[in-house]
Amino acid sequence: MTLSDRIVRWRYRYVPDHLLGEILTKRWVDNAIPLLILLAVVAVFGSLIPGFFSAISISNLLRQWGEFGLIVLALTVVVVAGGIDLSVGSIFALGNIVALALLNVAGWPVAAVIVATLACGAAVGLVNGLLVGYLRLRAFLTTLVTLIIVRAIVDMLLLKYSVAIAAAFPDTEIWYYFGEGFVFGVPFSVVVTIALAIAMHLVLSRTRAGWHVLAVGGSRRSSHNVGIPVRRVICATYVVSGTLAALAGVLFASRLGAAGADIGIGLEIAALTAAVLGGNSLGGGRGSAAKAVIGSVTVMIMVNSLVRLGVTSGANSLLLGMVLLAAVMIDVRWLKNRQKFLSKVYVSPTFADLPPAPGTDGSSPYALNDRLEPVGAIGLDRIDGPEDVILDENDNIYVGNRTGDIVRFLAPDYEKQEVFAHVGGRPLGMAFARDGALLVCIGGMGLYRVGRDREISKLTDETNRSWFSVIDDSRLRLADDLDIAPDGRVFFSEATIRYEMHEWPVDCLESRGNGRIICYDPNTGSTHTVLKNLVFPNGICMTHDGQSFLFAETWACRISRYWFDGPKKGTVEPVISDLPGYPDNINRASDGSYWLALVGIRTPSLDLALKMPGFRRRMARRVAPDEWLYPNINTGCVLRFDESGLIIETLWDKSGDNHPMITSMREHRGHLYIGGILNNRVGRLKLEGADPDWTGPASYWSKA
Amino acid sequence: MIGALTRIFDNLLGRGEAAVTVPPLDGAFRPNRLLDEAPSRVALDRADGLAVVAGEIVVSAGDTVYKLAADGSLLVRRSFPAPVTAIAAVGDGGIAVALASGEILVDGGAFDGRSYKAGEGLRCVTALAVSDGHLFLANGSATNDPADWPRDLLERNASGSIWRVDLAGGASNRLAAGLAWPAGLVVDAEGVVFSEAWKHQLARIDTARPGRPKVLQHDLPGYPGRISPAFDGYWLALFAPRSQLVEFVLREPGYRKRMMAEVAPPYWVSPKLKAGRSFYESLQGGGVKHLGMLKPWAPAMSAGLVAKLDLGFHPRSSLQSRADGRTHGVTAVVEHGGQVFAAARGDGVVVTLPFATAGEKGGRA
Repeated sequence: MTLSDRIVRWRYRYVPDHLLGEILTKRWVDNAIPLLILLAVVAVFGSLIPGFFSAISISNLLRQWGEFGLIVLALTVVVVAGGIDLSVGSIFALGNIVALALLNVAGWPVAAVIVATLACGAAVGLVNGLLVGYLRLRAFLTTLVTLIIVRAIVDMLLLKYSVAIAAAFPDTEIWYYFGEGFVFGVPFSVVVTIALAIAMHLVLSRTRAGWHVLAVGGSRRSSHNVGIPVRRVICATYVVSGTLAALAGVLFASRLGAAGADIGIGLEIAALTAAVLGGNSLGGGRGSAAKAVIGSVTVMIMVNSLVRLGVTSGANSLLLGMVLLAAVMIDVRWLKNRQKFLSKVYVSPTFADLPPAPGTDGSSPYALNDRLEPVGAIGLDRIDGPEDVILDENDNIYVGNRTGDIVRFLAPDYEKQEVFAHVGGRPLGMAFARDGALLVCIGGMGLYRVGRDREISKLTDETNRSWFSVIDDSRLRLADDLDIAPDGRVFFSEATIRYEMHEWPVDCLESRGNGRIICYDPNTGSTHTVLKNLVFPNGICMTHDGQSFLFAETWACRISRYWFDGPKKGTVEPVISDLPGYPDNINRASDGSYWLALVGIRTPSLDLALKMPGFRRRMARRVAPDEWLYPNINTGCVLRFDESGLIIETLWDKSGDNHPMITSMREHRGHLYIGGILNNRVGRLKLEGADPDWTGPASYWSKA
Repeated sequence: MIGALTRIFDNLLGRGEAAVTVPPLDGAFRPNRLLDEAPSRVALDRADGLAVVAGEIVVSAGDTVYKLAADGSLLVRRSFPAPVTAIAAVGDGGIAVALASGEILVDGGAFDGRSYKAGEGLRCVTALAVSDGHLFLANGSATNDPADWPRDLLERNASGSIWRVDLAGGASNRLAAGLAWPAGLVVDAEGVVFSEAWKHQLARIDTARPGRPKVLQHDLPGYPGRISPAFDGYWLALFAPRSQLVEFVLREPGYRKRMMAEVAPPYWVSPKLKAGRSFYESLQGGGVKHLGMLKPWAPAMSAGLVAKLDLGFHPRSSLQSRADGRTHGVTAVVEHGGQVFAAARGDGVVVTLPFATAGEKGGRA
């Protein structure tokens, strides 16, 4: 290996490029930028303002935030549903004056005051909701009008009651507690806001009502089409918004007890800035309580700090406007480009240095021949993509196909075929269990069992989630091949956790250890991952000692052996580490050796590209997938090898006409049955000198 | 300065010059199978050049020049001591033959037995044309042999040249240099039109005032080779198709260099006269066989492509053999007596089509 190769290998071993793409697939990454802005704001003002982090300063800030946060939450509910509510500031002022008037002038008890004030806010919200939701007026104009109308009402109330309010001092402890009390050292309003934020988070993320709101925001028409009562949902968001704004007004009233004319003026702009800055999309459908909290804290700190720094109020508004503009811009660009960016960075090839490929000529054990020439075709043009082939003790052939069936060809002449079971997904590897049930790995679904009575049951479709995996790797994406240990434990391979079944070429392009081997234990019903970071693990075959199995790693071109029991338990040993092609399924041969399908042969140009990850990454970005450099899977062969890794024989089809692709083979009563995932036939070859009575199921289960 | 910055930016993002787009096979290049459906196919290993000499079709293959009889049989006209790289009719019934050794011999006709050498070190004569007592020749590359054209492409050379030789006197002069593999020549009223393969274009040099060649047609979907006159225009053989992957590899100097150093030439990622002969050749995604079948639209490193150009050298129609076809790597086309002859070196075959088919159906099939 040259020095530059070595540097490249180190670079790709220690820089986990793939994590960037995986992080970007997460929904929480939407919060990353707002959080960074918040941290930056705290850092800047924290260093500019002396005593910024003092207890008094923080407590003061928090109490104001409690009210402001509620208003931002109110606005967020509406924005998430695709609307906008500009009247929150006016409703806040209305709540303030109504609460004070009812308490100070009318002398209502505190509980009644609160209920009435919230009802008042809800009523304004309902007006908004009816106009926007049911009459389908434009949200922006409608709420602008309610803003003005409610403001006018507040001004009229002020004229009438402000003197009376200022004169009276209600004598209730509980009322002042709202505005000035602490719960375990935290201002009461903050506790209320945080509790409501948590409630809102749970509603939006965990309940049907919340999903309806997000769905309506995401796409009104689709929501309507799936039966969501769009108008009612929209109306409800405005009611909630009005209620929360009024609640903020109550807290404010309790804290200051003042009825001024400028209360709540411009608040809607600040709240809007906070909501958008937090990452709630103005287009609707994307947003959360956490975003509202982050955004409101940021704006709160900015506004307060500027006041404390002595910036004039005009400049303050100017800055707020600029921030809103920037936030909207970031929102739009991010929304538009995130998927684009993700698709560019998700594919992250790594350095893969395969050992030199042995030749296929002369005295090589892999030397070309025409021994597959006499292969006969079963079900020619009547079967689409039999990846694996298996035969039962009555000589019937079972294969999966592309449309999710398990097709059975009936012995003895295999002229008749029937759908044995429709399992869905993409049936891949198969094995017979002790009781004669057929266990199937289904791409996109998991591990399934088809009983003799054709009853289909799921064995497992998830495994334990890795602690440090960014993407959720608990769900099975591409269960590939399986085999069953003598005690009934099923070991199966999952080729990749980063891609779906049809994206296998991308996994080849990466050539990273994205795959794993998983064990399903029918005795306990549990599933756990046995081996991780394998390079497209594919075929699995139990050895005859009952303590280990052989497995193939396709893009690594090697066969290894894993002990799951016995003295060597937990160890992996290489068996063949330099195959000339890409190994697929492994199965037992009648003489105690093993059959191996090579689905394709390594090409020098791709082998070179595997050592140049940057080249492959750029190829993935710039070249259309149909034009990518692929592993050459148009020509394959069948090998037989023993446990020591010795190649006993190789069977080729030189012309490639007879059996174009080989992904699996199964020996049965002196014949070899060959499957190919993109083929239109099952191949059948008479084996000279093979035991004419040997069958797979007997080899596995008759001894025990 | 801005140009350099733009280039760096383009390289980073795969835009502009660094984009790997190739023109789609549309318009005059709408896919068809006319070459595969030709009524007459004569197998001839390494069939390369074609010429019409005194009413007969002459084919070069390896170091031999054959006559193609009307019944499809091949008669040896003459063998040469080195492989023939280009032929052209000269005089009355004579042919000028360029050899891999760099010599140009004339066999038959008025200049029988004469031999020419245009300049020292010209060993890559890819095309010949004769007009008004002059012989024009294209030298594909200053450093590579004709058979090494994939290397010349991958080295991104532009060292070819075009020469004019006085048939009577033997004096020669260079008309143009610094060309990216000139591979075809035809003389028209205004000068010499040549194909510049690695730039996928056709250009003309004014023979009276040689200067900068004028580009007539650019961004062809294949690598243009030999040109020959037709009844109402010209025939252009495009000896290999362009592909996104090759365009991409051409923009990847690191990979290109290592590939040329470490991988055997037949297995390079490069256009070929006939691809898919070995499982060691690279495979592209669309080339994976499904249900035992290679799709005709599969991206391929080889194809059969012949363009019919009008008098202004604009493609009007085409004859093709697609990815799954059997007439790949067409290196020469001539028209004679209402028939079109194409030599497909990739598949080692000379096909003959009635001109009516070629002219009428071509491109519209």
